[in-house]
Parts: sequence; C-alpha cells; structure tokens
Amino acid sequence: MRNIVLPGEIIAQVPQRIENSYIENGKTYSKIMGMYEPNTRGVIPLEGSWSPNNEDTVVGVITEQRNKVFIVDLMFFGRCLLIPGKFDEYVFTPGEIVEARIKEVENRKTIVLGDGKLLEGGRIIKVKPKKVLRVIGKKNTMIDQIKALTKTDIVVGLNGLIWLRGGDIDLAEEAIFKVEREAHTSGLTEIIKQYLENKTKRE
Amino acid sequence: MGGGPNKPELVINGKRTDGRDFNELRPIKIIASPLANANGSAYLEWGNNKVMCGVYGPKEANPRHLADATQAVIKCRYMMAPFSSLSEHGRTGPNRRATEISKVVKEVFENVVMTKEYPGSQIEVYIEILQGDGGTRVAGVAAAAIALATSGIPMKDLPYAVSVGRIGEHLAVDFNMIEDNYSDSDMPMAIAPRNNEILLLQMDGDMTKQQILEAVQMGIDAGPQIVEIQRKALKAAYEASTTK
Repeated sequence: MRNIVLPGEIIAQVPQRIENSYIENGKTYSKIMGMYEPNTRGVIPLEGSWSPNNEDTVVGVITEQRNKVFIVDLMFFGRCLLIPGKFDEYVFTPGEIVEARIKEVENRKTIVLGDGKLLEGGRIIKVKPKKVLRVIGKKNTMIDQIKALTKTDIVVGLNGLIWLRGGDIDLAEEAIFKVEREAHTSGLTEIIKQYLENKTKRE
Repeated sequence: MGGGPNKPELVINGKRTDGRDFNELRPIKIIASPLANANGSAYLEWGNNKVMCGVYGPKEANPRHLADATQAVIKCRYMMAPFSSLSEHGRTGPNRRATEISKVVKEVFENVVMTKEYPGSQIEVYIEILQGDGGTRVAGVAAAAIALATSGIPMKDLPYAVSVGRIGEHLAVDFNMIEDNYSDSDMPMAIAPRNNEILLLQMDGDMTKQQILEAVQMGIDAGPQIVEIQRKALKAAYEASTTK
C-alpha cells in the first residue's frame, strides 16, 4: 500500500539509502511530500520543480539570438542556451517552438542544449514537471495511447512543456490534464484509455 | 502590554473572554494549494485570522549580488491587507512591524528548508493577512509551512507555530486580539515537531523564568493538535482529487 508521507516523517527506523530522504540520529526521514511504499527505492515526489539532467528532451520557446547562440525559455530559473554543433545550421526566429536535448548542465544553473529541432504550428501546454513522467508512462505507454486515440502529434519536454498539433487536439489536451490531476492513482493507463474511447465514440 | 483604565476583564469564572479554557486552541481550518499559479500555496483560518500564503521558486536570485553560490536564499514578505485589522496595521506598504515579522519568519524557514539543494537560487514566501485577530505571525508560519510543502521544496520538517502567554497569574495558549492587547505577556513561538526544536521565540511583557519554561511546555503540548490539522489538510488535497 502506498502512503502519502510529509516532510520530517520517519520512513525507516534504521539508516537507509532512500531517494528524497535524509538520515539523522540513525533514523531515516522524508524530506518532501510524496508517495512511499516500504522497501522501495525512493519517495516519489508529488510536487516540485524540475532538475535538469543530461540527455533530457525539453521543449522551449526561442526568446533571443546572439550571434549563433539562441536563448531558450524552458520555464526554468537558470539560463538555457541552444548552441549549434559544428555541422548544424539553425535558422530560428524568436517566438518559435523548439525541441532539444540537454548536452550539459553547468552549476545546476546554466543548461546547454543541442540537437535543436523546429516544431511548426501547434500549441504548448504546461504541466507540473513532476507529473511529466506519468504523462509519458512506463515504456511510453501512456503517451503512445493518447497519440493513437486522438491522432495528435505530441512532443513531451521533461521540463513540463508539452507541444501538440493536429488531430483531436482539445481531447488530447484534456487527457493530459486528467493524467496530471490523477497522477498519484494506480491503473491510470486503463482509466485514460476508457476515457478517450468513450469520448471518441460519442462523437 | 495593556494597562490603563480601560483594561477589560480577561478571565471570567475561570474561563477566557471567548469561553475557552487556558490550554484550548481556537478552531483551525487549512486548505492546501488553493492557488494555481503559485508553486505552492495555502489558505488558513485560525479563529478569526484569515491568511493566504504563496511560495515561488526556486528561481534565479534577484538582485543577483544577493545570490549565494552555496545555497538558496529565502525571501519572506509578511503583509497585512489594508482591510485586515485596525487602520494602523492596514497601512499599505512595509512598515516597521511587517519588516520585523518578515525577518523572523524568514529565519524560521532558513532552519528547516534544505537550501543547499538549490545553490544560487531564491525561494520566495509571501504571507498575506486578510483578516487579523491576534497571533497573525504564528498563523502565517503555520500557513507558510503548508505552502512550502505543497511546492515540493525539500524540508527537514513541517514546523508549526503557536502563541503562549500570561494573563494575570494564569498561563494560556493561543491569544486572540483582546488578550494580545491587554494581557501581561505574550510569546509567539514556532517549533519543529520532529525534535521540538524552537525556531522562533519572541516575547512581549514580562514572565518569570519558571513561567517561561511552563509556557513553552504548554506550546509544545498544544503542538500535536496543530500538526494533525496541517497533515490532514495536505493529505486531503490529494485524496480529494482522486475521487473526482
């Protein structure tokens, strides 16, 4: 049974290496609000900001160009730069949406991006960064299912921005927000499948 | 503390002015994350106090020269709304009292938030008192703790706060406005329930050493009730969304 734990709550009476926890006086305490099941690897956060890692796929908006370097807004507090490689030639204008991969994170503050790709048209929505993994699902099950049933092109950025285009775009958006709201419940892929099938049938 | 010819009777037949016992709290109601645009938020009603609290961050420290390369900076703003209380408190803009409370509340959270996880950034805590009826700073701390928890910022503990004090020879917890103004002494305190570490302790008026020790113990004894309400509110925010 998964339980909601709160900051400062004892999760183990012995010192144990658990994600999102700290050890004091030989006991393990949770340091965030999250879901925890005894004898698992970590406390799964319910809320929180995004911490960038190498190779993360992100979605952002170009805000500025300086020489060949583009500054991208990823809804992150640090600086995000899209720097072209030796053989790349990027032609972006401010306001355009791009998909990119993180090459390097400096000091947890400056993000260097590469592999920039233009996303034409469509729209961007924002979900809580800690719910993005649930939107993607185990082995992409959730996002593949939404793509297939709504026929929408979707690119999910781990920073919390999601780009959508074509198909039943409103339904896809609704489904993603439903996943975000109910991220902490189990058996969600099946619920979303039924929800989408009911909606598409009615129309 | 209050004196003068207009001092009202604060203890009537062994009860306080609003009919409470000396160790009885006012009713507390908390709603976790009512605001969509803040990273974390909380709304709290503590007796007649109404407090709204929002948390932003971690984000880039501004102004930049205040950024600390080893840890996050916490900024706190406590503010009373112009309609919250007597007109002298409701003056817009920061005043001496608001600046002081902002500072002590900031120091409470510097001791519980794990600032080392976000070097060079800033965490903002905004406490707005919509209606004040004595003990607004402790209500503010209790609300801000919930708001910080809902923002997902790592914390060592979920602090609570309560005011204690002295009315004549009686010690009491959770003062309302009349008791705050006319009692002999009042002492707001914030405590980390994990190890009863005291994070905030201020005092107006006078108490003997023995009375202070007893009053602190009364605050700690009242703690489990407040912590229970805080924890229930946080869990309710997630259990409610499951049933929808």
